[in-house]
Amino acid sequence: MSETANILLVEDDRQIREFVAATLEGEGYAVIETGTAAQGAVEAGAHKPDLLILDLGLPDRDGVDFIRDYRAWSRVPVLILSARSQEAHKVAALDAGGDDYLTKPFGVSELLARVRALLRRSQQERGQADPLIRFGDCQIDCVRRQVSRGGEPLHLTQIEYRLLILLASNPGRVLTHRQLLLQIWGGQAVENHQYLRVYVGHLRQKIEDNPAQPRHLLTEIGVGYRFQP
Amino acid sequence: MAACMSPGWCPIAVTLRPFLPALLLSAGLTLLMLPLQTDIDLSNTALLYVLLVVVIGSRYGRGPAIAAALASALLYAHVFVPPLFSLAITELQYLLAAGVMLVVALLVGHLTASLKAHAEQVQAREAQARALYDLARHLTAAQTPAEVEGITRHFLETVLQAREVRIVPQSAFAEPPAPLTPALLQAVLAARHPLLSAGAGPDRSLVLVPLLAAAGRGYLLACEIPGAAAGAGATRELLETASSVVLVALERTYFAEVARETEMRRSTESLRNSILSALSHDLRTPLTVMVGLADTLGLGKASPERQKSMLAALRNQALSINQLVTNLLDMARLRSGGIELNEDWQPIEEVIGATLQQVRSHWKDREVTLDIPAGLPPLRFDAVLVERVLWNLMENAIKYSPADTPVELVVRRVGEWLDVMVCDWGPGLPAEGGEELFGMFRRGQTESSIPGVGLGLAIARGIAEAHGGQVLAENRLGGGACFRLRLPIGNPPALEELEEAT
Repeated sequence: MSETANILLVEDDRQIREFVAATLEGEGYAVIETGTAAQGAVEAGAHKPDLLILDLGLPDRDGVDFIRDYRAWSRVPVLILSARSQEAHKVAALDAGGDDYLTKPFGVSELLARVRALLRRSQQERGQADPLIRFGDCQIDCVRRQVSRGGEPLHLTQIEYRLLILLASNPGRVLTHRQLLLQIWGGQAVENHQYLRVYVGHLRQKIEDNPAQPRHLLTEIGVGYRFQP
Repeated sequence: MAACMSPGWCPIAVTLRPFLPALLLSAGLTLLMLPLQTDIDLSNTALLYVLLVVVIGSRYGRGPAIAAALASALLYAHVFVPPLFSLAITELQYLLAAGVMLVVALLVGHLTASLKAHAEQVQAREAQARALYDLARHLTAAQTPAEVEGITRHFLETVLQAREVRIVPQSAFAEPPAPLTPALLQAVLAARHPLLSAGAGPDRSLVLVPLLAAAGRGYLLACEIPGAAAGAGATRELLETASSVVLVALERTYFAEVARETEMRRSTESLRNSILSALSHDLRTPLTVMVGLADTLGLGKASPERQKSMLAALRNQALSINQLVTNLLDMARLRSGGIELNEDWQPIEEVIGATLQQVRSHWKDREVTLDIPAGLPPLRFDAVLVERVLWNLMENAIKYSPADTPVELVVRRVGEWLDVMVCDWGPGLPAEGGEELFGMFRRGQTESSIPGVGLGLAIARGIAEAHGGQVLAENRLGGGACFRLRLPIGNPPALEELEEAT
């Protein structure tokens, strides 16, 4: 990373804020800390951070609303911190435009891995994306719309291809059921999770060595799917 | 009654109707006997008339019997007694015979008719007794006041053609359903006697029966019955008998409810106690370790390697507390009944795969194998909760079996069930069987260094049962235990093809 990334941390618990900030600063990131959503919105406008880390349980405002407002004017990635009891809330925050989440309590290594992945991706988005995506022994040629595995061409249906491309072009990012259904089948299908599961199952049969224990198309239970290159 | 042209005439027609056959039969008998007049003795003819009166009395009651007796006597005297076809009786013996016939006919007719009335009364009483018996029998099965009310309603509707049957508990006296008023209810309850015909319309009577229980509890049975029934003494008697049976049933449901609440309070109390004792031990131990580790690290005197391992221990202790809190929260959710299943048709492979991934990243050195057949049908379940079950079962298997043995995950379809078995090579289940382990705060080894509070299996079973499934424990051949999560397969909906968005 050529320049230091700015990270805005919005978390009301002081101790969590301190250890997260200390960890990130230890890795060379510049961290702006705030404890409220109102202050967070101000700082986001003033500093234009490269990444936003947002606690869902803020005292002054609902995190989902915050993300929705933020998404109205910014594409900067948002990492959500949530407690385990906030499952539905977490999915709503991802649907509203959150990019990834960490469930408390989380380890430092998990935190850093997510932060790196999000920053890397936002940097890639600014530059030119590679039309060739490689993972495992598979390769996707986005220009010729061809997928091959071990050098052999794979036959994918239209929907399978679009699902794979959507997931693979967001490596490491969790995509909710709703987001995937909306992108592939459109608005009328957002509640039909079963379709999605059937097609993910088909895709796993074609690209995974062991479809019951996938290595690339990972299930985030109760949330959605994540592509791991 | 199609012959009733004007309603005012009908009652008279109905009353007079039985007299018609009485007269017709008397005349018929006379005509029948007329050709045989010379062959049959006069006294036998008289007996035939008496027989006719008996038949009419037993069939149509007292009035027609008397009418038949009079008609028979007249016809007998007129047709058969010489001089024929004249009412005049010349010989004394004929007069005597005619007189005796009249008296015998009257007496026998009267007796037969009373016997008949009596038999009918007995039948009616028997029917009521049977209805009361049925009422009592159905009431023994009633579990709630609403069920008692339903059974009572059915009884009164059948036996008394009652309508608007209600049982009003004393707690609802302040706002009773119309046309009842609080003052009326209180008055009836204070009078301690049933109140009939309080007026609900021209031909319906309102009936209020107080049901007085011990300790000042009371109910009121209210209904509307036909006006005619309200006047009968038998109705009052029936209502009093029925209401005493109903009261017993109401009291039984009341005390059953009290007993259930007490039992629930008691079990909540004992649960609270075991939670407190479990927490004080299982939470304090890791916390003590953490404080100690933090203090020692703070002194800064330990070697760097030592510090590193102490930090790792600190982290592990914190994670075990997290696990404990997660389990307690799950248990609290299950126990409070506030668990809402977010069910969806989905392949079980997905949850198993995701759980395995987490288990492998948590216990990196432990060997976990998976044996799952292809082509399993989708099941309807809440993925987040079933993941908790699988995690708890696998965590158990890993914790309670030697570290160098594998944990095996086997999925099988068994009839209408899908079984996910988590098997280990540990010591197996205790001799008294595995059921004990599913209780809350039960542990395979009560005092051991293995962390945990013994909630995992209770949670697993609670979640499985919420899905209509089960968690079962069994020993496997050759040692070790198997825990089996059993979920119903059901009928997955057929998938329609969705159109692709353009």
